Amino acid sequence: MGRSLHPDKEIEAALQYAEASGWRIETSHGHAWGRIFCPFNNSACRSGEFCIASVWGTPKDARNHARQIYRVVDKYRFRQQVSEMDQES
Amino acid sequence: MEYIFTLRYQWTGPDGETEHLIERLGAGGCDDALIGLGHPGRIAMEFSREAVDAESAIRSALEDVSAASNDLHLIEVTPDLVGLTDAAEWMGLSRQGMRKLMLSHWQTFPRPVHEGSVSIWHLADILSWFEARGGYSIDSRTSEIAELARRINLENRIMRSSQPLDRLAL
Repeated sequence: MGRSLHPDKEIEAALQYAEASGWRIETSHGHAWGRIFCPFNNSACRSGEFCIASVWGTPKDARNHARQIYRVVDKYRFRQQVSEMDQES
Repeated sequence: MEYIFTLRYQWTGPDGETEHLIERLGAGGCDDALIGLGHPGRIAMEFSREAVDAESAIRSALEDVSAASNDLHLIEVTPDLVGLTDAAEWMGLSRQGMRKLMLSHWQTFPRPVHEGSVSIWHLADILSWFEARGGYSIDSRTSEIAELARRINLENRIMRSSQPLDRLAL
């Protein structure tokens, strides 16, 4: 992987969850620690606005920010499953 | 109380400047939002905002964003407009289950905002209907946000079509 770790443990755990679900991570510097990129950025994706999401280095509340990342990853995972089921049926 | 809602904006600034924009948003108090950049010309912000009520949560978020940039123009506050699938998702029902309820309660089920190949409702109306029906657990914060999102979106649409009302930072 070779990317730098997020300074907050809970956010880092959320980022690893995103990576395990196929998301790609790019780091930057400033208030924004980096960006996460959804692996399903395709026509099956109904709300691709969070297919690229910016991750803060020191958000107002780290636990909430980690939750936001989990929510986005889970939403796309769910949508991908639905679209796979649609294709099968 | 923590309120979760999403503000969706059109971005009319230069294409390569979103990094700069995000820095300004971060410095301007929007570091409680997850910022989505997946659509060109769009910025979506999912806020988890701590506030005394839904109104101060959304109002302060709108003000923070408008102070950070003049190139962001509010499209909508969500959750507000929903199709049957979204409405079902909010209630933890299947789309078929929701459709069945709608058809079997055609006299009382909320009127849609738009009807066509896809029909659209205000989530606030759907939540009130289920609340009145009883037996469903609905987070009161979601109802508050949905009702307020409806009002702000209506006001935003009026402002975009006539004279500004000079009250909200849209």
